[in-house]
Amino acid sequence: MKVHGRRPEETTLTVWQVVELARHPDRPYSLDYIKRMAPDFVEMHGDRISGDDPALIGGVGLWHGRATMFLGHQKGRSLKERVARNWGMMHPEGYRKAVRLAQHAAKFNFPIVSLIDTPGAYPGAGAEERGIASAIAKAIMEWFRIPVPIVAAVIGEGGSGGALGMGVADRVIMLENSIYSVASPEAAASIVWRDNTRKVEAAEQLQLTSRDLLAMGVVEEVVTEPEGSARVDYEATAAALDEALYRHLRPLLAQPTEELLQHRYERFRYIDSLIRAEPHFGPKI
Amino acid sequence: MVAAKKPADVRISGGKLPPIALPTNCPGCGVGLDHEELRRHTYVCTSCGHHFRMGADAWIALIADRGTWKERYGDVRSHDLLNWKVPKPYQETLEQLRDEGLNEAVRTGTCSLGGREIWLATFDFRFVGGTLSIVAGERLARGMEQAAASGLPYLLVAASGGARMQEGVLALMQMAKVNAAVGRLDAAGVPYFSVLTDPTFGGTAASLALLGDINIAEPGAAIGFTGPRVIKQATYADLPPGFQSADFQLARGQVDMVVSRPELRRLLAHLLEIYP
Repeated sequence: MKVHGRRPEETTLTVWQVVELARHPDRPYSLDYIKRMAPDFVEMHGDRISGDDPALIGGVGLWHGRATMFLGHQKGRSLKERVARNWGMMHPEGYRKAVRLAQHAAKFNFPIVSLIDTPGAYPGAGAEERGIASAIAKAIMEWFRIPVPIVAAVIGEGGSGGALGMGVADRVIMLENSIYSVASPEAAASIVWRDNTRKVEAAEQLQLTSRDLLAMGVVEEVVTEPEGSARVDYEATAAALDEALYRHLRPLLAQPTEELLQHRYERFRYIDSLIRAEPHFGPKI
Repeated sequence: MVAAKKPADVRISGGKLPPIALPTNCPGCGVGLDHEELRRHTYVCTSCGHHFRMGADAWIALIADRGTWKERYGDVRSHDLLNWKVPKPYQETLEQLRDEGLNEAVRTGTCSLGGREIWLATFDFRFVGGTLSIVAGERLARGMEQAAASGLPYLLVAASGGARMQEGVLALMQMAKVNAAVGRLDAAGVPYFSVLTDPTFGGTAASLALLGDINIAEPGAAIGFTGPRVIKQATYADLPPGFQSADFQLARGQVDMVVSRPELRRLLAHLLEIYP
């Protein structure tokens, strides 16, 4: 685990400034990266059950000469596109689409790249009616059986179960000014204080910055962003993300499938091992 | 919905359920409650069928054959790892709940049910809203790994508000940890029955609770991902009565059946005869 470039303690941003950068409307979105990583990207649609979720894009492209499945939340740039993409908040169809495309990738032995950038799964009545909880649950379980390497990166917001539903991977990395949290600061404030205006305090308590997550052992690497954050230089950020993702993918490609899946299991099974300071917790069993 | 009937012997394991905190009147129908009668009737209102929430101790007493409960991993304890201070220090919350005799949001162990040995895990909503924490996840995952290895059926009783905010992203990661373990149960061909009680939401609903081979909901239980308060805040939508109720989830294909508590033990014993 390492942080490139500036050392973690050199940041001068407050936690809330990081949250605002992670959500900045000019920040690069999944397609901005995918089109630079794999210019021949071909997008695919639909869960083959009932619909397509525009909040999640998926498709194939050649990446470092290798056919690769790309998945990513997409937020949308104009107001019209934001509405169409539901601000990157997935419905159940999105998680079913992700599992379909992951199984498709497994069939052709394509590795998978997952880019995470969502405030969370869509908190609306329609999502509930169509089974958002079980769609996420099923997706999380299925990721552990997909017999090809998966590398994931949080590129903006990693919000709650909606993000984790796309975040079970062999390696998970984060862009420097991205966040990953059990709930959005607003939702956490609403749950803990019953007052969603206390979001700044909540953000500070949640320890949701890339450096916090690296320290907790939840992500393998933090990718440094250009001075002024990712939004000032799409090319440089995409190149750094590409380099880091491919560096993490390469050793996985050589791993026997059984070993790959066992390591993926252990990655999450013991993900909290760094904080098991309590003697009660005992050894691995 | 199966109507609450008069008690049958198979309903309770033999021992009495422990006393629980109850209101004077039933929130379902307003009738004045006879607490002893209610206790004999598995805390289900005899006039309207309202199911009162039960803690882990009551669920263990209800499910386990008398004298067979062996608690496991009870000494795995949580602590304040994020130095969470507001509105109340997390460490203080934990210690206060422990002083009240509660041992985390999930308790797990082995017991027999109708003579068949099983793994049982039950959430306790009284412990920080039954939230999925590192300790809860660890107890669940360990039990599931043991069940997958030994072939014992796994029974879950869910009651949870979701992932525990005070443990941050590591609480979120428990969803992946337990689902990985559910995958092991699944691959081993071990039966996994999930009983969803009021309420089951958030990260718990979106991980192990809805992944049962058979999902059984209690009548009137609220089950969903996002709670109604947050849905209204986020979308300004008016939710119809019964939204996210057990019957709502039955109609939408998320649960296999809605079974009242006095019938539950008989049903589970029967299922354990059918599933190898």
